[in-house]
Amino acid sequence: MIEFKNVNKWFGKLHVLNHINLKIPKGEVLVICGPSGSGKSTLIRCINRLEKIQKGEIIVNNTLVHDKSINLTKLRGQIGFVFQQFHLYPHMTVLQNVMLAPVNVKKIAREKAEKIAMKKLDQVGLTGKSGSFPAQLSGGQQQRVAIARGLAMSPEIMLFDEPTSALDPEMIGEVLDVMVNLVSEGMTMCVVTHEMGFAKKVADRVLFMDEGKIIETGTPDDFFDNPKTDRAADFIGKILTH
Amino acid sequence: MLIDFNFRIILEYLPLFLTGLRSTFFISIVSIALALTTGIIACACRISGVRIIKYPAIAYIEVIRSTPLLVQIYFLYFGLPTLGLMIPEIQTGILALMLNSGAYIAEIIRAGINSVDEGQLEAGISSGLNYIQRMRFIILPQALGVTIPPLLGQAIVLVKDSALLSLISVMELTRCGQTMTSERFMPAEAFFTVAFFYMCIYFVLKAVADWSQRKLIFREAY
Amino acid sequence: MMAFYFARLVEIFPFFLKGLWMTSKIAFISLVTCTLIGFALGMIRSGNNIILKRIVGIYVAFVRGTPFVVQIFIVFFILPEWGIQLEAFPAALLAMAIMGSAFICEIVAGGIDSISRGQWEAAASSGLTLVQQLRLIIVPQAMKVILPPLVGQYVLLIKDTSVVSVIGVMELTRVGWVTVVRIPEGLMVFSLVGALYFIISYPLILISNYLEQKMAV
Repeated sequence: MIEFKNVNKWFGKLHVLNHINLKIPKGEVLVICGPSGSGKSTLIRCINRLEKIQKGEIIVNNTLVHDKSINLTKLRGQIGFVFQQFHLYPHMTVLQNVMLAPVNVKKIAREKAEKIAMKKLDQVGLTGKSGSFPAQLSGGQQQRVAIARGLAMSPEIMLFDEPTSALDPEMIGEVLDVMVNLVSEGMTMCVVTHEMGFAKKVADRVLFMDEGKIIETGTPDDFFDNPKTDRAADFIGKILTH
Repeated sequence: MLIDFNFRIILEYLPLFLTGLRSTFFISIVSIALALTTGIIACACRISGVRIIKYPAIAYIEVIRSTPLLVQIYFLYFGLPTLGLMIPEIQTGILALMLNSGAYIAEIIRAGINSVDEGQLEAGISSGLNYIQRMRFIILPQALGVTIPPLLGQAIVLVKDSALLSLISVMELTRCGQTMTSERFMPAEAFFTVAFFYMCIYFVLKAVADWSQRKLIFREAY
Repeated sequence: MMAFYFARLVEIFPFFLKGLWMTSKIAFISLVTCTLIGFALGMIRSGNNIILKRIVGIYVAFVRGTPFVVQIFIVFFILPEWGIQLEAFPAALLAMAIMGSAFICEIVAGGIDSISRGQWEAAASSGLTLVQQLRLIIVPQAMKVILPPLVGQYVLLIKDTSVVSVIGVMELTRVGWVTVVRIPEGLMVFSLVGALYFIISYPLILISNYLEQKMAV
């Protein structure tokens, strides 16, 4: 479903993605972790072409992501993206936030789009907040709205860029619960996160990155209990004592 | 001093001041409307990637911002006739105010657009919205909130700037003060009355600007 | 004809340089005095003395609410009525000082108000006097907020010196005005005047843009 073929990217002199080869089959839940600056956010931002790449190719559903001639709108419609900082539109209500893309990108009729949006809000447990503005919600609620917004286009893939890092500890659980529910529906997911509990519970595979390279991959149990490399062991030690 | 302040003469000249006030109103409203249009066009040209309209827009904005309005007024007032363009002083004045404020407004709008968080753009991109849709639904509505207070500030500046048209003999508020001074030589009465009227306009516009500052700004809440 | 006038213009170019010198002199003196008075008033305006605050507030509102040209007329025509005789040059400097100080006062007050209460409390808790709190803790931090608009204000002040031409000070704009009577090529004469203003104000605009970007981080 998603394939990286020898992908390379530089920010100036910094080699942020270094010969990345990766296959993510349909329905897989992949957790990506690593120290800050390791390139993990950049990696998933390349999948919906928020970032350009300089070498190699990324293929999503037989579409060459970084090819100039592809229908980018269609591609992005298949991929939902959730940001660390939510990035809800502050001037729109919750419902308007969720409806915006279905109405304007997919050209779905307003009434039908509203039904879809309400269903997605129900999925994240926030139907009661449809008329509120983002500023009136807690961080956890905002992030759940952002997930509903991502789901509104009925994507086949959901990408999460550190979805719980900007949240107060007591709100992390509600967001992870929504994500776990998504897993049970068979969604293909790439999640950049350090939430070990989440990884152990639902991830099919954990991928550890450092300095732009994939250092090791494995099942969550293998990775967290018997890391193969010193770097991974060191990193796991740090997030455990944290 | 103030004890000799002659209110009777102010009353006598009141009709003249009211015509001047009306003229100042007229000039300001027409100029601000034209300047807004000019500003929007100049800003659109400036942020567009198209070189042949981008660089002229930059040149226009920077030249206006680094030369005095009075010089711009004289440039048109003394310059247009040499091109064979004979237009009334008031139109020359409005043209100068339009070109001057237009450049500042272009920068205000650009700053408003730049003030919208980059993440907002990325969220729009990720949902598959195209450039026009992102501008229309996400960037401009948020930019509007931040640009309205400085736009009203620019309107205040423009009203005061219109006083300079008195120097090319446009009969507006300040010119009335000059007229009264030359006829009766009572500059204190004349210019404090003029100042009083400007202060009234200023307080009204400032109240609206402060109100809009409180009301209109949406902020992304984390 | 154009070529003839151009030659004349080149001939009297030193006259323009004199005007430029006068403009620079007024601008420089005004920037210094306005900065000094503006900072002093700004500290009062963001301070705790309600009466002083009000007085400064009224003064600022008067200056911001009326056109500079009206303020110049008030200084130049009304002070003599009250027995204060001023030549055009000192009158121009006085008007510039009155106008510029008010705008800088607002910028400074805004900068000081942007510093959180916690900084004041921490400084007070360390036993610093009010003046020390301002000088050592508050103003250095506020400078980050103050500097970009302050330089922007300097550009405005330089351009506003053109308005003192109305009371006959022989600065750049007045030179243009006098010249255009003898050389009736308005576009040419005022392009030259504009270019000379551009030379002194554009570098400051660039500095202001640079500071704005740098301080935003």
